Amino acid sequence: MNIPGLQPERRAAFDRELRPRLIKGGIASVAWIVLVIIFSGFTTSLIISTAILLALYAVPWNMLRYGKWVVPSVAIVLAITYPYYRDDLYEVPLFGPFPSVDTAVTMTIFIMMAIGLNIVVGYAGLLDLGYVAFYAMGAYTAAWFASPHFGESVGNVHVGSVGVNPEAAGFHVSIWVVLIIAGIFTGIIGVLIGLPTLRLRGDYLAIVTLGFGEIMPQIARNGDNLFGTGFNLTNGAQGINPIDPPGFGETIAGWTGLPADYLSFSSTFLGREIGGIEVFYWTALGLLLFTVFCSVRLRDSRLGRAWIAIREDETAAAAMGIPLMRTKTWAYAAGAFFGGIAGAYYASFKSGTFPDDFFFNISVFILCMVILGGMGNVWGVILGGGFLAYLNQEGLGNIGAEINDTLGTNIDVPLYQFGIFGLILVLVMLFKPEGLIPSARRKAEFEEGAVSEEYLYDARGPVA
Amino acid sequence: MATQARRLPFPTLAGRLPQYIAPALAMLLVLLVVIWLGVNFIKTPSEFYRLFLIGLTNGAIYGLVALGYSLVYGILELINFAHGDVFMLGGMLVATMVSSFGLAGDSGLFLWSMILLMLMIVMAFCAVLNTTIELVAYRRLRHAPRLAPLITAIGMSFILQNVGLVWKGARPTSVDSILPRGEVFTISGVTYTWDKLIVLLFTVPVLLLLMWLVQKTRQGKAMRATAQDRDASAMMGINVNRTISFTFFIAGALAGSAGLLYALYITNIRYDEGFRLGLIAFTAAVIGGIGNLPGAVLGGLLIAMIESFNNGLGWATPGSDWTQSIIFALLIIILVFRPEGLLGEQVPEGG
Amino acid sequence: MILRKRGVLGFLILLVAVLALAAAGCGGDDDDGGDGGGGGGGAVEALPSASCGPIRQGEEEPDALIASDFPLQGANRSLTTEMADAIEYMLEQQDWKAGDTALGYQSCDDSTAQAGSWDSAKCSSNGRAYANNASVIGVIGTFNSGCAKLVIPIANRESLAMVSPANTYPGLTEGGPGTEAGEPDNYYPSGTRNYARVVWNDQFQGAANAQYADELGLKKIFILNDGETYGLGIATLFSDYAKKLGIQILGNQKWDKKASSYESLASRISSSGADAVFLGGIVCNNGGKLIKDIKAGAPNVQLLGPDGWTPISATIEGAGAAANSMYITQPGVPVDQLKGAGKEFVDGFTEAEGKAPNPYTAYAAQAAQVLLAAIEKGGTDRAAVSSALFETDVTDGIIGTFQIDENGDTTLGLVSVYQIKNGEETYVKSVTPELDFVEG
Repeated sequence: MNIPGLQPERRAAFDRELRPRLIKGGIASVAWIVLVIIFSGFTTSLIISTAILLALYAVPWNMLRYGKWVVPSVAIVLAITYPYYRDDLYEVPLFGPFPSVDTAVTMTIFIMMAIGLNIVVGYAGLLDLGYVAFYAMGAYTAAWFASPHFGESVGNVHVGSVGVNPEAAGFHVSIWVVLIIAGIFTGIIGVLIGLPTLRLRGDYLAIVTLGFGEIMPQIARNGDNLFGTGFNLTNGAQGINPIDPPGFGETIAGWTGLPADYLSFSSTFLGREIGGIEVFYWTALGLLLFTVFCSVRLRDSRLGRAWIAIREDETAAAAMGIPLMRTKTWAYAAGAFFGGIAGAYYASFKSGTFPDDFFFNISVFILCMVILGGMGNVWGVILGGGFLAYLNQEGLGNIGAEINDTLGTNIDVPLYQFGIFGLILVLVMLFKPEGLIPSARRKAEFEEGAVSEEYLYDARGPVA
Repeated sequence: MATQARRLPFPTLAGRLPQYIAPALAMLLVLLVVIWLGVNFIKTPSEFYRLFLIGLTNGAIYGLVALGYSLVYGILELINFAHGDVFMLGGMLVATMVSSFGLAGDSGLFLWSMILLMLMIVMAFCAVLNTTIELVAYRRLRHAPRLAPLITAIGMSFILQNVGLVWKGARPTSVDSILPRGEVFTISGVTYTWDKLIVLLFTVPVLLLLMWLVQKTRQGKAMRATAQDRDASAMMGINVNRTISFTFFIAGALAGSAGLLYALYITNIRYDEGFRLGLIAFTAAVIGGIGNLPGAVLGGLLIAMIESFNNGLGWATPGSDWTQSIIFALLIIILVFRPEGLLGEQVPEGG
Repeated sequence: MILRKRGVLGFLILLVAVLALAAAGCGGDDDDGGDGGGGGGGAVEALPSASCGPIRQGEEEPDALIASDFPLQGANRSLTTEMADAIEYMLEQQDWKAGDTALGYQSCDDSTAQAGSWDSAKCSSNGRAYANNASVIGVIGTFNSGCAKLVIPIANRESLAMVSPANTYPGLTEGGPGTEAGEPDNYYPSGTRNYARVVWNDQFQGAANAQYADELGLKKIFILNDGETYGLGIATLFSDYAKKLGIQILGNQKWDKKASSYESLASRISSSGADAVFLGGIVCNNGGKLIKDIKAGAPNVQLLGPDGWTPISATIEGAGAAANSMYITQPGVPVDQLKGAGKEFVDGFTEAEGKAPNPYTAYAAQAAQVLLAAIEKGGTDRAAVSSALFETDVTDGIIGTFQIDENGDTTLGLVSVYQIKNGEETYVKSVTPELDFVEG
């Protein structure tokens, strides 16, 4: 039997790869199926989904022609069709049902932020503890350009806005334009923050970014009367809302059938009722794909290789003629860009933004995603980001409900949320510093110890 | 050798600008602050005294916490984010002890011996806690890239905060006021109270003791040697691991004592207080020159003064809304223009 | 070395797996059919278990659901869980039915543990969950006005009725003093109202506080606010009304809830020569420490607080002896002075729960009563329930006799003043500001 897309002479190598993976994966799948059946009963979806995962894992796709596209494209198709089969999925023991579409939107947005941070931390090796500042900038940009906020102080501007009264006060710019503005604006802010601070050594940089991350919410909180001028920039602790929903407007909607305005959208598509939430999800997914694409292309570009060179050895990189400051600043700008887009989209999704949304915990939360997934590896970060965002949004609550339900206890699992995140940070760093899915290069760095910070010998032993 | 390479002179923005610009800007800033303080002093002198005394007291507490950061950074070049949370747990322990010993309303010798007992307990508790953290979270990573222990430090900080949250809840825990709050003296209508004096009376000897420990004792020499060059000191027969543990032990004990003072003087403690105060204290340590012990206390005083004056003064004052931003802006300015801090030398070392 | 690392990691994973299995397994045998509240009962679709408790219901399978939306974690926990209990109690009183509609009830949480209060992401996600779940015909909530700003527009697009027992921010229902441009219309994109509240808004409370301060003969007042939607709002309103009464306002300043001490703030107050301080904000924002420091730095000032300082026991617990002599106002009659249906509720609830309800608990029960009455009229049609809210005419309800006007505001206006004396709350009197004074 010939396998399509595989040269016959490579058949033996293919089998050699396949067999152990099939055995390993098979055992894991059977164990998983048994586990799920015991605790939540049998469903067809369990068998199908496990079979798909097994096929993706066990077959050495890379050996086949066009094989390297199989895993990503299956993943993308699965992600896109998620709202269609989500309700039929089985219940995971302890975790309960699969994340709702609503949660999936949040997960996708946080993955975007994690990928943005990954550029700074993972590629360029600059620890940024104030990433929340970029998220905040994005969210406030959306709030400024797509809400009634500036109606009184500045005036009314309408550019392709949807879902709002044409006479409504304030700036109402189409969300698509707002996303671009937000990305560019935060990118510029990233450069501005970066220029003076990027000269600092690693941990000093961390503390300075942390400082920025703390100043930003305070500006948001006190920006209703900025520096006593009476100008209301951020509307203070009240936050700015409502922020306009995304949408394509009546005209385009009339031609194409795309939603005119996400919030009031409802239609039937491929036999399923589609509401605003699904459209929000697909849009987020589109933005995520764009982010992933850019991130991967950036990594493989000249700039990306310069980042990695700097991460591995700054002095050597400089000696090879890499302009340190410019390269680092680009990393900051790129990371900030995606953070800004994600922030703006999230604000539009939540339809409001509040200064309390932007505290240090969020920065660490996003950092945690990058670390757990594997610094520098986009796929790892997607996995880590998705899982942690799910835990935060739905998972911990579900686990709590499940535990209390079965044991009859009253444990408040979400109460342990940031302890759990802290534990993840510590455990991953101690035992698997390269993350769940390590990038090969990063793994080598961690196992050898840093190239640039090598000690002459191990001072660990009892010398005295 | 390798350690030498890690301590290249700080590359600063100042290096790029004409040499006189940074000092000139700094002078201008200082001048503005002096004018601001001066005008306020002339307008409301008694207010000024009062705020000065408040700042002095808070500064002593900040200084105590900052010392711990400074010690640890001096020896490991690690920002021990968990330090502030160790301090917070110490404060919570004191809160528990005060209420379970039923100290409210007590006075005299009994009260003082109980406070002393609590001090011993809380110092031991925090010292052991801090040493354990080093053992669990940092020791394995002694040879990992610098980011690794920094990240575990953040993780430990979160874990400890969660412990505090589960222990005492999200609402601030109120501690019974047991320090005497009577009057010591009064100048121009401003009363200096005993509780403030006690805080100062505690901090000064602690600082002196610590200086003595670091400068004069064998252990202190080992600490300084390890801070200077870990490898060389290991070759000289210093047990590096034990020295580092000892440093964490001392830093923890300092955090514990600060926790006691904080709980008794401020009489309120919340689970995220440690993190917030830790950031302030770290800023203090950096401003003073990290690794420099008197510098840490000086930085603490400076920040507390800024905070106090900014919150309380009347003329041309940004007000309490901006205190945090001012402190962090100062941190950024210092790090960018003078990373070695006010008292630090070009190369920051322990002691 | 690497092997050893793997070994430890493998062991940890194994340990977690075993623990997880043990946790899931222990109850597995006796609870096979049950499903963590996720799958729901029969005809109705349950709200997600991540933020909502299991469906509570009577004997009958429910035809529809109502949900409550409160911050169940953090500083307000005891109050908000009691409010949820009160709603359940009210449903039980009616045999889980409103007219012909059998009802189920889920108590949802809009807070996160680390914030210790409401969270904007949680609020809007809850709002979407209610709006998109056709089984939900009414929501009792929210607790916080900031959260309401997010939930109301989402619910409004689906004509889902909301009754709040605790939102006091005026802009949610009407324009005028203390609101922003565009309010309240920007919360109602469909153009039809769906939101009512049974508690008086802050315009009345601010006016009542100012009036009472005037009665006390206070002439110079310093205002502090916590900078949040509620605190800033009531502080501004109080300031406006107090100025109208000729009271001199010496300053209106934010207090930073994260600060460790307010001594310098207190010193500013004492040097301003104020004879009273109005604290516009909530006790959870480090209020205990604030009171302690103000009293230490300016011992002679009179403290005044709006209902953010309730439950008063929390203020007493946080500030200790420093809270003595502080006046705290709260909309409505004190629970022990309720009459008729109110007294019945208080007695019944005390018997069922073993403790007397908080004033806000009575409001939660009243909100439930209003919503149930609307469901009785409107059945399971969301729009009909929403419009029925505005025909509410309660005679001798739990908190008294009142109507809901076309804005969704209650017509029952009364603010009770309490004073803390020797660590106990004591009822002083009730104040009813004139409507002309409030609106003019």
